[in-house]
Amino acid sequence: MNTWVVGQLIRKDWQLNRVLIFASIFAGILALAVVQLATEATAVVGSVWFFIALILVGCMLPIGIVNERKKQNLAFLMSLPISSIQYTTSKLLSSTGLFLIPWLTLVLAALLSIGVRGIFPRGVIPLLLILALMPFVGFCIITAASLMGESEGWGIAANVACNSSYGLAYYFLCRVPAVMSNAASRVVVWNSTILKILGTELALIPLLLGVTYFVQSRKRDFV
Amino acid sequence: MSENYHHDLAIELRGVCKKYRFFSLDHIDLDVPQGQIMGLIGPNGAGKSTTIRILLGLVHQDAGEARVLGHRMPAEQVTAKWDIGFASEDMRLYESMTLGWHMNFIRSIYPTWDAAYAQVLLKRFGLLAEQKIKGLSHGQRVKSTLLLVLARKPKLLVLDEPTTGLDPVARHEILRELTDVMADEGRSVLFSSHNTQDVEQISDQITFIDRGRIIDSMDKETYLDRWRRLRLEVPSGIELPVLPGIIGVRQEGRLAVATANAFEPDLANAYENSGAIVQRIENMTLEEIFVANVAHSREEVEA
Repeated sequence: MNTWVVGQLIRKDWQLNRVLIFASIFAGILALAVVQLATEATAVVGSVWFFIALILVGCMLPIGIVNERKKQNLAFLMSLPISSIQYTTSKLLSSTGLFLIPWLTLVLAALLSIGVRGIFPRGVIPLLLILALMPFVGFCIITAASLMGESEGWGIAANVACNSSYGLAYYFLCRVPAVMSNAASRVVVWNSTILKILGTELALIPLLLGVTYFVQSRKRDFV
Repeated sequence: MSENYHHDLAIELRGVCKKYRFFSLDHIDLDVPQGQIMGLIGPNGAGKSTTIRILLGLVHQDAGEARVLGHRMPAEQVTAKWDIGFASEDMRLYESMTLGWHMNFIRSIYPTWDAAYAQVLLKRFGLLAEQKIKGLSHGQRVKSTLLLVLARKPKLLVLDEPTTGLDPVARHEILRELTDVMADEGRSVLFSSHNTQDVEQISDQITFIDRGRIIDSMDKETYLDRWRRLRLEVPSGIELPVLPGIIGVRQEGRLAVATANAFEPDLANAYENSGAIVQRIENMTLEEIFVANVAHSREEVEA
């Protein structure tokens, strides 16, 4: 593996996307601050903003991949001493790494605010994790579509499909008693339903990224 | 380094084929000797860019062998690309970043980056490192791309239509810089264009490509020596003979124009002996040679 050049490409992606990363962290922390105002309205508004921050950064990062092709930067990158699969590796590593920065920061901040301030009961933690993993899975789907589809159309389609499914997923999740029944509890309850949902989400992340890598590695024509 | 490699060749294509739904590259054979400038001329859609993408390993050929600087492509593309500088008309830099950022990015990858030469090029091209790419004109963007390619001092330059869309002044500046770069005799260049004037100005060797086939390839001087246009007066009752080396005759009344791709003084004598009068023997420009060559090739294929 051409690790030095792949590393430079990842560094380049960080430089191109760091404003987005910082902005999403700022927006998410601001949303958590609104939650801390401790009224029902601010709790709802703050929670919605919090998830919007996660969803937006998960949409915007893969748009960068599509734009690299659309704006013809790809020919510039592929003139460098890398193969197409090394480019894919750099994209998967940089995108996932960059997404993880705000995701981990905000999820940890949310867990901390639940644990310390107690605005929400601790029983809501499994629901928070299930909901927070949804934009992560969505990010993987959009990244996969952007890399494999090689067109703006596929990226937009994946974006629309994911964004419209979050509301639906939440709607159905609210109707799963095993998930919702302990949300108001003072202690965290991990039942089998919650663990299955979390497990499925966690399994989808490497699966989607792995399939993307596999499909890209078999392509014969890249630019 | 691959076995059976011809050390005197920077680029070696043998029987390279690539099939798409509506276009095919058909058994491309191409040699670019070390230290030579090869002009690859073809109309739009002739296969120039596909050939170049195969050379860079970005497109995998269906059949045939491609070697660049001795490396088999696409298998050894990573090693090969350390020594290849590639710029194309459809290549774009990151609009939101400055030229200086791009220079730092390329410098971080290539240990061969020559910072002093980069500064010379900045000055010569009238560019500012602090300027964002989105604020540059098309000509400045092309110059920026060339700066990034030239300052890394590649052994092989592959330029795909670099002068397309440039104003005459920018074209002149870029061609002058390329000519200077060629003073380094170890460096080889493949320069593709549909602009024959640009190619004629800087190339040693010229290859014509049309509809996915190489139709002719030789050194520039040989082209200019071998191709002639003979203007003839044909008295009534005289029929022009079919002569080897004449690829086309266009006759209107008593006047005829014969195009020769292997001109010898004997051809004029043969026409005179048949009763025709040779009014003039004209040199042809590279553009005229290209157009006649493409037309002749298409006639042959259709026949």
